[in-house]
Amino acid sequence: MAEASKAEAKAAAPVGARPYVLAALGWVVPGLGHLLQRKFDRGIVFLLSIGTMATLGLAMGAKVYPPALERGQGLFVAVLHLLGFLGELGAGMFYGAAWLAGWGESYMSRAVGDYGTVFFLCAGLLNLLTALDAYDIAAGKKE
Amino acid sequence: MRVKPSLVALTHFQAMFLFAFFTSLVFAFLSKRGRGERAKYFLWTFLLFLLVGVGLGWLMYPFPR
Repeated sequence: MAEASKAEAKAAAPVGARPYVLAALGWVVPGLGHLLQRKFDRGIVFLLSIGTMATLGLAMGAKVYPPALERGQGLFVAVLHLLGFLGELGAGMFYGAAWLAGWGESYMSRAVGDYGTVFFLCAGLLNLLTALDAYDIAAGKKE
Repeated sequence: MRVKPSLVALTHFQAMFLFAFFTSLVFAFLSKRGRGERAKYFLWTFLLFLLVGVGLGWLMYPFPR
């Protein structure tokens, strides 16, 4: 049963694509890991939903956590910063574009910006889940 | 410190509605297969998000600060 599902997953995936490669591609571009495995409905829904959430978050003035810690941060704030960075990094190309282009805010300036941060952070976390899903499908653990 | 004007300004309810909508949609497509099951799961999680959000808002009403 598991062997048959693994064979199906192998047949659906592009030639030579390993599960971790598909997961990585799905992380960079939301839904790409599914689209390459011909799971078009899921791929399109993930791309549109996560893309809209990330874009709305940035447009609302999300705080974009940079990779480097700020000087003089206490341990608690540094841990929060690290968690925020890892969560937002999950948004793949959206985080990369925001960081490089300097979109978003470097601090939470207002309530809408706070909502924006939640949108952007959750887009990243949801994208990590979809990348894991793409891995499971490619590995034959899931349909 | 200069504050950049935000491109989009949503009300609390609009933000909660959109957040619940997209998150429920992704959850439904991640965890269920088949149109009917996904629709049911989407509606259930979407309504729960809204209900819990409004419920928590009411619970916090006596404590404005």
